[in-house]
Amino acid sequence: MDDKVVTGTPPESRFQVARGTLLADVWMGRLIRLGGVGVIAAVIGMLLFLLWQVVPLFSGAEVTPQAAVALRPGAVGFGEDESGEVVYAAHPDGTLRFVKASDGSSVTDWSPPAGSPAVTAVRVQSREGQVLLGHADGSVSSVTVSFKVSFASDGRRSVEPEVKSEPPRQVGEKGRAVTEVWAVRATNTRLFVVRQASPRGSELRALRLAERRGLGGRAVVTPGEPFAIAPDVDDVGQVLVPSTADSVLVLLPGGEVRAYAGEGDRMDLIQSFRPFPGAGRAPSAAGLIFGDVSAVFLSAEGEQRVWAIHPVKQSDGRSLRRWGEVREPVRLPGPGAGVWAAAGNKCYLLAAGGELQLRNLTTGSVRWQGEAPPGSARQVVFSRNYDRMSALAADGSLRRWKIEDHHPDSSWSAFFGRIWYEGADGPAFVWQSSSGSDEFEAKYSLVPLIYGTVKGTFYALLFALPIALLAAVYVSQFLRPDLRLIVKPLMEVMASLPSVVLGFLAGLWLAPVVDANLVPLLCALAALAPAGLASGWIWSRLPQPVRRRARPGLEFLWLAPVVFLCVCAAWSLGPSVESALFTVTDPSGAQVSDFREWWRVSTGLAYDARNSLVVGFVMGFAVIPVVFTIAEDALSNVPAALTSGSLALGASRWQTVWRVVVPTAVSGIVSAVMIGFGRAVGETMIVVMATGNTAVMEANPFNGMRTLSANIAVELPEAPAGHTHFRALFLGACCLFLLTFILNTLAEVLRQRLRERYKVV
Amino acid sequence: MPTMTAPTPARIKVRPAAENDGRKDFISIRDFGFWYGDKKALDGMTLDIPERQVVAFIGPSGCGKSTLLRNLNRMNDLIDGVRHEGDILIKGRSIYDPGLEVISLRRRVGMVFQKSNPFPKSIFENVVYALRVVGVTDRGALEEACETSLRKAALWDEVKDRLDDNALGLSGGQMQRLCIARAIANRPEILLMDEPCSALDPIATGKIEELIHELKVQFTIVIVTHSMQQAARVSDRTAFFYLGKLVEYDTTEKIFMNPSQAQTEAYISGRFG
Ligand SMILES: Nc1ncnc2c1ncn2[C@@H]1O[C@H](COP(=O)(O)OP(=O)(O)O)[C@@H](O)[C@H]1O
Ligand SMILES: [Mg+2]
Repeated sequence: MDDKVVTGTPPESRFQVARGTLLADVWMGRLIRLGGVGVIAAVIGMLLFLLWQVVPLFSGAEVTPQAAVALRPGAVGFGEDESGEVVYAAHPDGTLRFVKASDGSSVTDWSPPAGSPAVTAVRVQSREGQVLLGHADGSVSSVTVSFKVSFASDGRRSVEPEVKSEPPRQVGEKGRAVTEVWAVRATNTRLFVVRQASPRGSELRALRLAERRGLGGRAVVTPGEPFAIAPDVDDVGQVLVPSTADSVLVLLPGGEVRAYAGEGDRMDLIQSFRPFPGAGRAPSAAGLIFGDVSAVFLSAEGEQRVWAIHPVKQSDGRSLRRWGEVREPVRLPGPGAGVWAAAGNKCYLLAAGGELQLRNLTTGSVRWQGEAPPGSARQVVFSRNYDRMSALAADGSLRRWKIEDHHPDSSWSAFFGRIWYEGADGPAFVWQSSSGSDEFEAKYSLVPLIYGTVKGTFYALLFALPIALLAAVYVSQFLRPDLRLIVKPLMEVMASLPSVVLGFLAGLWLAPVVDANLVPLLCALAALAPAGLASGWIWSRLPQPVRRRARPGLEFLWLAPVVFLCVCAAWSLGPSVESALFTVTDPSGAQVSDFREWWRVSTGLAYDARNSLVVGFVMGFAVIPVVFTIAEDALSNVPAALTSGSLALGASRWQTVWRVVVPTAVSGIVSAVMIGFGRAVGETMIVVMATGNTAVMEANPFNGMRTLSANIAVELPEAPAGHTHFRALFLGACCLFLLTFILNTLAEVLRQRLRERYKVV
Repeated sequence: MPTMTAPTPARIKVRPAAENDGRKDFISIRDFGFWYGDKKALDGMTLDIPERQVVAFIGPSGCGKSTLLRNLNRMNDLIDGVRHEGDILIKGRSIYDPGLEVISLRRRVGMVFQKSNPFPKSIFENVVYALRVVGVTDRGALEEACETSLRKAALWDEVKDRLDDNALGLSGGQMQRLCIARAIANRPEILLMDEPCSALDPIATGKIEELIHELKVQFTIVIVTHSMQQAARVSDRTAFFYLGKLVEYDTTEKIFMNPSQAQTEAYISGRFG
């Protein structure tokens, strides 16, 4: 063949392809490809967005050293204003020197009023804006430091310190110098504690002030009588005074810790414990964590132990709040030198073996670690919003760090581990993101939500799958074709019912109805399957001429009276069943026949009207149509040649369905189940409306649950963007995504295998 | 070996009439008429099929061969809106007898379809399917039946090493023989075959024809075929249908050598159809 023939004669027009056809072909191809890539990109983009929201939860704190502030030598304590612009150093004589943090220039100085007794002890409580001065005569005066922010006409900010001092109060024994002083304020009471030297070592004395707000809003202060704490102790070591103002922890040099508590003018020993087991092992440092119900103890051997007050069951059944160890011991890089708590959250800084560690008490995570400045710090102050910490070093200089830690209370274990929260009697998985109180610590365990999701899905599928799949088999294989043409579109209409409507019906109508007729309903449910099977058996025993009376495809009509009878019987027998099986003695001593009461008493589990059964039932309505439609399609698509082949071999219709049709359609059925599963897992509105949304972890069918999706729907509107709560919700979304992704992938692999195995040529 | 030349009456070789000709009538079809909805597909069919013979149904497309065949095991009942008149008796008993289970009828009357339809299961499971639905669970019995059927279907040697492989991996001819093996595994009395070779190549066709010869010893076989040579080669008797009516039914030899009807003559000589 030569080229001329090919190129020379143009092809006849009827063989030519129009440019438009070719272009359309090319462009449609591209468009479709673009669409496909777009879908994949959208899914990946969504995942990336979720991850982008979630990743900050798992990054630690970023702590950057700032310029040190030079203080006059000899400072024993310091405080600062909220913005950290003005710092004041307290000196042993009680003078406070205010300096600008930026350049160290003096702002003002304050000295105790002339004529007040000599100062022998100073404590600065920067967070409370309080400086405590202990005097040589055993009295204590409290000095309030506040800062006034004003803006000059040119917009410049200036911070003006204001110092007010109260007259001294006699707390210690008269005439003996105070060597250390503490003061805390709780609602309606103030507690002062002083240490004074005693012949044997040192001893503690305290004074409580009762504060009551009068009608005019003025506080009426009634001082109590000073009293001794731990009078039997020769030498009091370190002392921790919780801000609850009702107790004092005394660390004895031998390693024992004593908790004293009481009201009025006395405190008694209520508990003594050793944070470090073994005689002679004493804490080298100790500190209370924000909230003051947990204490961190460090040992010279480099070990950290955490104790907290929590309810402890006593032998007589009562539950008392006692100190107990609540965390696994942690090994530190060296001997513990100090513990300082942050304000407003459960983080704390500890110094051990030349290292600083910023840790979170609740999750146990190390937020940051860095090298400690030489010499031990005398005092560390965290800013109120946890963005700065300052330490008074042994050399008198003030070191400062900027903290960037947006999610101090989040960590892998916070979301997925068992955590012993303060006030609880043991570690648990808890989701509780908000509360009325400020002291409240948000709890973000996703485990109850995952559990709730699985539970909701389980009950929904338990109800939906058998019905949907059996209905699909029946409709595709047994029902009369003309009825089938009605049933399928009806099911599709059912699929389009908005789930809000379903949830609404479930919560407001179905739940009360089920609640009122629980026993008859359960009886009917229990009776239906056996009755159906029994009627089938009886049917198969009937002589052939009778059976011929059933028109093929309409056999179900014969079952209708059976179902009807079952329901009638259940309704009429329900009350007697209830009184026969479910009679309990109620708290008032009367005998009641009530399944709900019986359930509570005999299983110890909760009973709610809006429970998993109702949710499962109604969610079933959302799941059944999708599963049914897809499974029915798969079953109908089994080639008729296979069905007739089986029937021609003498198989019954049921044998044909079970041995040929179902195995051939199994990949489609798996898809149907998976899609139903996806629908149940992601279903939100029904769960939101028809359950109590309590994040409990119980398989109990008679209470509710909170699912990941419902949780997002309920809480996202009130979660501030970028906050831990917000991101935790996104983490929940990630889990949901992952859950469905993994299951869908597994199902797809299974489906491909089945398809390979049962593929029809 | 079959020949592949065009069907001319002169070249059609007719088998001599089988020696067991004239046995008592095994299947008898009496004035049988059949409607698909309003459309009458069969009209006034009357013919008797003797035991252990091969009867071929021939005729142009759409003349009702398959319809009659599918009525013999009542597979047509599955179609909506069908109706019949007259009767079909097997061993003197009506297959429409209300006391007769259609399932047991089908166990008795095996069927091989035009297009092979193995189940998407292993070869073994395909063959023993009829036994499984009867309720045989004994592995030994199943294996024995499997081997016997496959041997009878002349497939044993080809598949004996891969009984657990999926049947859909077989070639077209093997699949059709597998369907035959499957149909005879429960030892039915009658075997219906609806154009069993129409989708097969000559070699596979030849194998199946040989098979029919061998099976005749045990089974009564009714075969629908498009190929007149095939009818001539395998059958003892031949029925010629035209437009839903039985035109002529006689020994194969007679039909092909000396048909009594002009239509038959025209059809087998290739002048229409
Ligand atoms: N399922 C059916 N529904 C309606 N008409 C059918 C059906 N099967 C076959 N027919 C009609 O019955 C007639 C006989 O068909 P058939 O027995 O398949 O012919 P053959 O097998 O001889 O080619 C044809 O006219 C055909 O259109
Ligand atoms: Mg046909």
